[in-house]
Amino acid sequence: MRQLIYLVLLIMLLVPAQASSSKSSNDDETTYTDFTLGIGDRVEVGEYRAELIEIQSVRDGLAVMRISKVGGALDEQRALLQNSANNFDGGAEGDGITITVTDILDDQTAKVRLEYKEGLGTAHRRTAEKSATVLDKPNLLVQKSFDKSQVSVGDEVKVTVFVKNTGSGQAMNINPEDMPPLPEFSYIAGYPPKIKDTLDPGESDSAIYVMSAVKEGSLRIPAIQVKYTDTKKNVRSNSSEPFNILIAPKNKADLRLKTTASGPIQINGQGKLNISLSNVGKASATRVEVSGDVKPSDGLQVTDLEKSFFEILPETEENYSANFVGTKAGNYIILLRVSYEGGDGAQIQEGKAEVVVLEQEYKYLYLLLIIPVIIIIAWIYRRYREYKY
Amino acid sequence: MLNVLMLGVGQCGNRILDAINKEAFGGGGPSKLAKYYLRPKFPSRVETLAVHTAVNDLKELRFTTAKDRLHVPNLHGVGANRNVGKQAFMDNRDMIMGEIEKRGDFDVAFVITSTSGGTGSSFAPLLINELKRQYRSITVITVAVLPFREEGSIYLQNAAFSMRELMEVEAEGIILADNQYMKRFSGDIASAYDKINSMIAQRLLFLIESLDSEMLSVTDLGDFKTVMNGGLRLATMGFYQADKKNTSIKDAIENSFKSGNLLYPANVMDDAARAMIIIQGSKEHLDVDEITKEVERISASAGHVFKGIVVKKGNPKVLSIFTLASAPELESIYAQAARGMQDEKEKRSRARKQLDDAFAHIEDLEEIY
Ligand SMILES: Nc1nc2c(ncn2[C@@H]2O[C@H](COP(=O)(O)OP(=O)(O)O)[C@@H](O)[C@H]2O)c(=O)[nH]1
Ligand SMILES: [Mg+2]
Repeated sequence: MRQLIYLVLLIMLLVPAQASSSKSSNDDETTYTDFTLGIGDRVEVGEYRAELIEIQSVRDGLAVMRISKVGGALDEQRALLQNSANNFDGGAEGDGITITVTDILDDQTAKVRLEYKEGLGTAHRRTAEKSATVLDKPNLLVQKSFDKSQVSVGDEVKVTVFVKNTGSGQAMNINPEDMPPLPEFSYIAGYPPKIKDTLDPGESDSAIYVMSAVKEGSLRIPAIQVKYTDTKKNVRSNSSEPFNILIAPKNKADLRLKTTASGPIQINGQGKLNISLSNVGKASATRVEVSGDVKPSDGLQVTDLEKSFFEILPETEENYSANFVGTKAGNYIILLRVSYEGGDGAQIQEGKAEVVVLEQEYKYLYLLLIIPVIIIIAWIYRRYREYKY
Repeated sequence: MLNVLMLGVGQCGNRILDAINKEAFGGGGPSKLAKYYLRPKFPSRVETLAVHTAVNDLKELRFTTAKDRLHVPNLHGVGANRNVGKQAFMDNRDMIMGEIEKRGDFDVAFVITSTSGGTGSSFAPLLINELKRQYRSITVITVAVLPFREEGSIYLQNAAFSMRELMEVEAEGIILADNQYMKRFSGDIASAYDKINSMIAQRLLFLIESLDSEMLSVTDLGDFKTVMNGGLRLATMGFYQADKKNTSIKDAIENSFKSGNLLYPANVMDDAARAMIIIQGSKEHLDVDEITKEVERISASAGHVFKGIVVKKGNPKVLSIFTLASAPELESIYAQAARGMQDEKEKRSRARKQLDDAFAHIEDLEEIY
């Protein structure tokens, strides 16, 4: 088994080696060979050795290599920038070698070109004793979630950021990069989310922050990206899955005011005004205050008109009644004002009720007497005229 | 439904008409104020009209509406002078007849008047002629009031002449009412008049009501005309209302023509030519056999008797009308009138003679200055 892997690796190395070596013909001629190196792999030519120590940054194109010479005349570890030639001992134009990182394939692998004088012999690749570094690879599982699936304008949402190291190596310098606040939300507390700086394999951490929906609409919640480094300072990152949510319009309270006053009352008579407040909205109405005014202001005394309620839940109703006594005949209007917090600031609802206070009854009785008397007098007078000669 | 015209002419006629209007407010002497709260109720369509030359007399009426009082203007009144009265009627004939015409068509007219005054006694005969001319088929009944005998020779003379005229005109007949005969009802003249007037009113309304009613035994306007045409065409009218102590129909009939209940005195059994007896009352009081027997008894001496029976709740009421074959009382009036006129004449010539004798003293003398 092991022999088989070596065989495959050997073939892989021989193909590029043969292609490049075919160009060489004399000792003073400069030649080059391209190698694909994993971490710990090295190439040898003459007395020179070049080993790929680490990919410092895939993005920035930095790979660290250690260059040495048998005997200890050279031993240098240098970060090599991609596509820039690095000369050692005068470079390939002199008596030394020139190394260029031509490509960084991933955080484990780089392509390296080695230039040298043909006189140094043939360059070989030596594969590293493998896998310690491979096993030491951290991987973060990143999740971002909302505590509710239905969100309305004004709702508070708890956002949980959960990070777990599911890899085999320690993750360090963990830095979650959440997107800046969206126009649809305003951040209330806990932002930006804080995650432990270091997570050992299997370890997890979470952070919670709270924001509130301020604008209705459908939107995509972007992923959170967590950057970290492994033990070899390789910068890595993992992201959560983005998802869509819909922010519904704001839930509001909607108070309806209904009044029914008892029929016409007489002077000094009593009446009742029934007041009903029903919340037909989706949100609670809070700090409900009812106040009233009577017009004209004297002649009708109303008691128990003012009232307050701490909260009227959606789809519920509150009833109460006020009493009134008429002291002067007339038509009165009781104006009612209900103020409340309905989820969208203070709101006001107005209503009115009409109350009629009648003259005392005897005045009408008096008329009842007068009218027939007038009719009789008119009748008699007419008769008198009829017979008067 | 009969269309009835009631004309009261002159003071006496006016006052009887007023009594009729009063009666129409309810039987049995309605209150003076009845006209303020009731409507007069006539059995048929009755139009009343008071015609007079004296405004003051018209003003005294109480139960006749203003529009039913017709003043016939005459400069100084008529002063019991029938000639002046006749002239006044002729001068105002169109106005008077126009006023009557306004009231529509009539089946029967009652012309009510005293015979002895100036206006009524002179207007009535002329008015009857006009009515007969204007309404071809109208039945005209005169209601003539004879004076108290002691009222004076002019009244008696007027009575004598106007009665003759009234009998000559084409009226169907004359119902007589004699003040002299009825004055015994009361001591003072005013209440005697009221009593007489209401008796006449009551009888006339009863007559109209009966003629217009559904009768058990038929009497109608035609029968009434036949009765009025009998004898001298002079009639007297009796009336009796039984009380509940005696509801005998026979007694009621006999009482109706007892002398005290007649408008004009007559021995009806001897002097009557024709009669009509109208009986009204509850069914239980109306024994038809008894009525028939009684009527037969009367007709044996009083000539043909029409009987009418009206079933109406109440004690029996009987109205009897007799036309007379002879009128001795009237004769005595004429005799008295003639005597009075003779006396007047003699008085006048005596006075004339005295004056002539006085003048004789200055005969052949000249005035000397
Ligand atoms: N029954 C009756 N007779 C009256 C009444 N007034 C006047 N007379 C009689 O009528 C006669 C006088 O005629 P009157 O009607 O006064 O005259 P005229 O007004 O000029 O027509 C007298 O004989 C009175 O007795 C009355 O109210 N009732
Ligand atoms: Mg007179």
